[in-house]
Amino acid sequence: MKRAAHIVKSLFLQELIKGLSVTGRHLFKKKITVQYPDEKTPMSFRFRGLHAQRRYPNGEERCIACKLCEAVCPALAITIDSDVRDDGSRRTTRYDIDLSKCIFCGFCEEACPVDAIVETRIFEYHGENRDDLYYTKDKLLAVGDKMEDSIARDRKLDAPYR
Amino acid sequence: MSELHSYTMNFGPQHPAAHGVLRLVLEMDGEVIKRADPHIGLLHRATEKLAESKPYNQSIGYMDRLDYVSMMCNEHAYVMAIEKLLGIEVPLRAQYIRVMFDEITRILNHLLWLAGHGLDIGAMTMFLYCFREREDLMDAYEAVSGARLHATYYRPGGVYRDLPDRMPQYETSKWHNQKDVDRLNENRQGSLLDFIWDFTERFPKHVDEYETLLTDNRIWKQRTVGIGVVSPERAKALGFTGPMLRGSGVEWDLRKKQPYEVYDRMDFDIPVGSEGDTYDRYLVRIEEFRQSNRIIRQCVEWLRNNPGSVMVDDHKLVPPDREAMKHDMEALIHHFKLFTEGYCLPEGQAYSAVEHPKGEFGIYLVSDGANKPYRLKIRAPGFVHLSALDEMARGHMLADVVALIGTQDIVFGEVDR
Amino acid sequence: MATIEINGQTIEAEEGSMLIAAADKAGIYIPRFCYHDKLSIAANCRMCLVEVEKAPKPLPACATPVTDGMKVQTQSELARDAQKGTMEFLLINHPLDCPICDQGGECELQDLAVGYGRDASQYNEGKRVVMDKNLGPLISTDMTRCIQCTRCVRFGQELAGIMELGMAGRGEHSEIMTFMGHTVDSELSGNVIDLCPVGALTSKPFRFQCRSWEMQNHDGIAPHDTVGSNLEIQVMRDKVMRVLPAANEAINEVWLSDRDRFSYESLDSDQRLTTPRLKINGEWKSTDWQTALEHVAAKLKVINEEFGADSTGALVSPTATLEELNLLKKLMQGMGSSNIDYRLRQQDFRGNQPAPVLGSSIADFESASTVLLVDSNIRKEQPILGLRLRKAVLHGTQVHALNHVDYDFAFRTASTICLAPDAMLSELAILTQLIAGRTGSSVPDAVSKLANGTEASVEIVALANELIDAGENGHVVLGAQARMNPNYSVLTTLTSLISTMTGARLANLAEANSVAAWQVMGAALDDGKNTADMIAEPLKACLLFNIDPRHDLLAGDHALETLSETGMVVHIGNFHDEALDDCCHVQLPLAAFSETDGTHINCEGTVQSWTAAVNPLGDSRPGWKILRVLGNYLSLDGFDYNTIAEVRNEAVAALQPIDASRVNTEFTVDELPDNGLKRIYDLPLYHSDALVRRASALQGAADSKAAVVLHPDTLQAIGAEEGSSVKFSVGEQSVELTVSSSNIVPVQCVVIPSGVDGCSAIGAAASVEVAN
Repeated sequence: MKRAAHIVKSLFLQELIKGLSVTGRHLFKKKITVQYPDEKTPMSFRFRGLHAQRRYPNGEERCIACKLCEAVCPALAITIDSDVRDDGSRRTTRYDIDLSKCIFCGFCEEACPVDAIVETRIFEYHGENRDDLYYTKDKLLAVGDKMEDSIARDRKLDAPYR
Repeated sequence: MSELHSYTMNFGPQHPAAHGVLRLVLEMDGEVIKRADPHIGLLHRATEKLAESKPYNQSIGYMDRLDYVSMMCNEHAYVMAIEKLLGIEVPLRAQYIRVMFDEITRILNHLLWLAGHGLDIGAMTMFLYCFREREDLMDAYEAVSGARLHATYYRPGGVYRDLPDRMPQYETSKWHNQKDVDRLNENRQGSLLDFIWDFTERFPKHVDEYETLLTDNRIWKQRTVGIGVVSPERAKALGFTGPMLRGSGVEWDLRKKQPYEVYDRMDFDIPVGSEGDTYDRYLVRIEEFRQSNRIIRQCVEWLRNNPGSVMVDDHKLVPPDREAMKHDMEALIHHFKLFTEGYCLPEGQAYSAVEHPKGEFGIYLVSDGANKPYRLKIRAPGFVHLSALDEMARGHMLADVVALIGTQDIVFGEVDR
Repeated sequence: MATIEINGQTIEAEEGSMLIAAADKAGIYIPRFCYHDKLSIAANCRMCLVEVEKAPKPLPACATPVTDGMKVQTQSELARDAQKGTMEFLLINHPLDCPICDQGGECELQDLAVGYGRDASQYNEGKRVVMDKNLGPLISTDMTRCIQCTRCVRFGQELAGIMELGMAGRGEHSEIMTFMGHTVDSELSGNVIDLCPVGALTSKPFRFQCRSWEMQNHDGIAPHDTVGSNLEIQVMRDKVMRVLPAANEAINEVWLSDRDRFSYESLDSDQRLTTPRLKINGEWKSTDWQTALEHVAAKLKVINEEFGADSTGALVSPTATLEELNLLKKLMQGMGSSNIDYRLRQQDFRGNQPAPVLGSSIADFESASTVLLVDSNIRKEQPILGLRLRKAVLHGTQVHALNHVDYDFAFRTASTICLAPDAMLSELAILTQLIAGRTGSSVPDAVSKLANGTEASVEIVALANELIDAGENGHVVLGAQARMNPNYSVLTTLTSLISTMTGARLANLAEANSVAAWQVMGAALDDGKNTADMIAEPLKACLLFNIDPRHDLLAGDHALETLSETGMVVHIGNFHDEALDDCCHVQLPLAAFSETDGTHINCEGTVQSWTAAVNPLGDSRPGWKILRVLGNYLSLDGFDYNTIAEVRNEAVAALQPIDASRVNTEFTVDELPDNGLKRIYDLPLYHSDALVRRASALQGAADSKAAVVLHPDTLQAIGAEEGSSVKFSVGEQSVELTVSSSNIVPVQCVVIPSGVDGCSAIGAAASVEVAN
């Protein structure tokens, strides 16, 4: 009896038709895709994207060249030179992140005692040659200036967890 | 006229069905495989050696990149080895989070496996459906760690941050009006746990769909039934673990047999196969979808009712919270030292293994008392499975090799390390 | 010996020694801040509290003497609690500076806080703030970080010998400070940076430059004095970032002079030569090594053929390595010339040249019972030897000084005799005569002639007796200043006579790698033309090896004039400046001490080799490679070395043994002109060689001041006043110099330093006249 049912089922392609009905139903469902780049899927406030250097509201750069991020960077992507600035404070004379080395682990941000180096929501950065992926201090500060609102908002949201 | 002998064929390393950078040297007798010789090492990054030159925490990110489709499970074995040497107990909440994310990872891994395996042997639709479900789980990854793949979320002593109590939302655009967005955001109104809960509600129905498409499908069965049969004895002898071993009918699962974290508190079953062929291994993994879903639901329920710390309260090991670091001298010193030198492990050695989606993933750690490993050995399940490819492929057709690579679920990040 | 038990481990320790020392010897670490095994015990940090059986409270291990049968626990709950408590108190007032503090990463406070402290603070109140002090150009201060361990204070008091730092105030108001408005000027001041366990005292030139974990350590040997202090050269990205002492009990213990510590600053000076350069039609053109060396070789060959081998000479800096010295000598000999000299600041070449050695090991220098310093400001010439001598004085050594100037030695001298140059010679002759009389030895007639029948003073009589009594425990030290003296041969003869008669050890301290130079040159020093000869009359070709003629040669500007008349001057050196650019024709960039492998022989004869810490700057090359290739281009035999080891082995094998040092028994005195002011020679500490002269921080230090000093009476007599400009004339030349006065200088004398701008115009002159 079981065998007969099996023969009938396979003769009438039952399992294939069932399968086709699944795909058929999906044909009429609402699409889950979004129209990138016009719209994007939601992004967590913890997102770890392109780095940025932040400034204080008065325009002073936050970084104090403590080099903790350089020390903790597993990929050795960060290079810092420090010196005494004219006002006697400790500052970087060079702060480079080689994004082609970076593994986006977020340790630099964790290590930073003054919230200077942060990872932003930017994930679509690109470069046409290797140099474009070598972010210098100026580039990082520019990213920070541009993204400061979103950076500050995200840090505020995440503050209770850190 | 001279007789035709077997000829040799290169499969990969640039073959789309080679799952990465596998190079197979196949000795063929017509369409029939006489010998399959896997060549590995094209993705070798010396992770083990690299770890010897970095403080312990700095290697967590590199663990993600071993089996890059089951990121947190790799991290888990690594941090557990460190915890074992330190002899510390992780807070219960962190243990639940780890178990939950281990199972999310298992589903992620199996979804990718099903997508790829299906695609390889002719089931294109699977790829699209599996990736749809993966999207939600990767959102969970992103919400908790900030990265969709390489999380660097587990830390010796717990997990980096507690689960967020809000989820990011879709926004309106010229393509989606408020009504559409409201529908998309329906499951994003609550916390991450709510979001995961909603997923677990939906997921079993999706698994049913996959099964409708595949389980009884004659083409699927023709491509998988009786392919790559491994007897339970051979499976054990070859060092198989995970679904590869269970597919052959051996009931072995570290989560049950050597429970770690809170697996002993979880209610779930171990699926096993009967024939030991590719089809059985497919069924085992499909059942693991359902079992993982069960575990996740248990974790979500517990986590909802038990707030608390997710890290041990010992700042000799774990950096103090940022608030304290900015006001408290001791905290600042510990922060500084932990991020530059890290912590030291007592002299000794430890082996820790997790039931990884692919099998037993183990970390063997030798410490000489310094702040970085003296030696780190990674036991990658895929490496063991790949070495059985020859045995499994002999006598099969060339097209079956693709099914076999798929059923082994190998990822070269961990095979080559 | 007492048997004690620490943490259950039975160890033997000397009865009465401190517990912490016994534990250190057994390899058991007890945390500490104020304790340092080279300093006295203060026991004020309380970090080393340990539990001692039967003691009611924990005891400080640094101040608890070992007694037999003691049972000590360093890690018991009581001890750990005590240590934790101490740590907490230390951190109460410590600022949250780690991220901007240079000590971060190598800070004892951090290490012990992590190892022995709590992991969170219970303290929320405000922290105290202490004003920073200005300690001069070498040491930067952040006094809020200070934990009052007083290591710096004790170093000043006990080792450097000047109490420049002290602790004022009590309780929360106690702070480390200098005397009002004073800076820390000791020639050993940099050591307090190493001693400071926190970031309160850090190196100013190094300030904010890099982190301790970024640097690689390389061993090195200090090139500036004859001690050969062991260095740790710390390098980041192929640049020397910092120099620290490497411990070597036999030589520098754990100390380092500021000159050796901070001279690295000039390694990337603007004046470094970085490419070979040729002067073509009066214009300097950079070129490649091949062109430059071929040019030099071709020219040298032509000059050699045309004017003979004797028309070529070489002047080499005593800072050169053994390998460079040997190759240069070999090169000159290969060309057939013996005209090579390293004695750049010597003007009296009569008689045999004694080896510039200490006469004992550096460690044994401390064991002398009587030391006679002749024409020596040992503290500012060889700071580490000065430190050793000071230690000796504290242990009872009697030091007598027979000098021109009453130097501040930072230790108590048994007697100090300061006389004008001619009078000092007579005084030394009187001493020699007196000792000869007492020991029944005979002395040459010249001695009695020089003594001129003068009656010995009470001090001289006492000194003679003491030296005779001391016998082998006596030590006669001839300082580096003596070399500049026009009667240097008289001084060497008299001191060697004294040493022979009493059995005292004899030291003749010179600059840098002079011992190696002396051992390499051997007989060539007597055969060929010496520095004075080469300066007196222009040669046809002259090789300058790392020499800046104006400052490194005693003849100063006069040497420049001679060189500008020389047919070809080849300068192989680290630096160039305008004067050099004017007088030479080819400049070859030489790798500095941190950039080359090399060998130094110190005053006790210890041969120490080192390897390069960084790559040579720009296109410069190690000296041995330059000379080797030049030898090839000159088609000389035996210049086929592949490694420096071959050069070194050959050089070491050919060294003239130190005991071959021959002393003179006869001398003639070069009478000084009677008119004008008698010159007292001086080589200021931070003008000793080209590297030091360009080290910017050192040039700001107090010891870099190179003043023309007269006695106040003399100053009045010539009608000048402190700080005014006086026109001095020597022969036809005259120069205006700013003068200052001090009564440490004898009347009718003037101290005119060498190696200093302005004074170089005076040259080697032994007396000057005041022009109207």
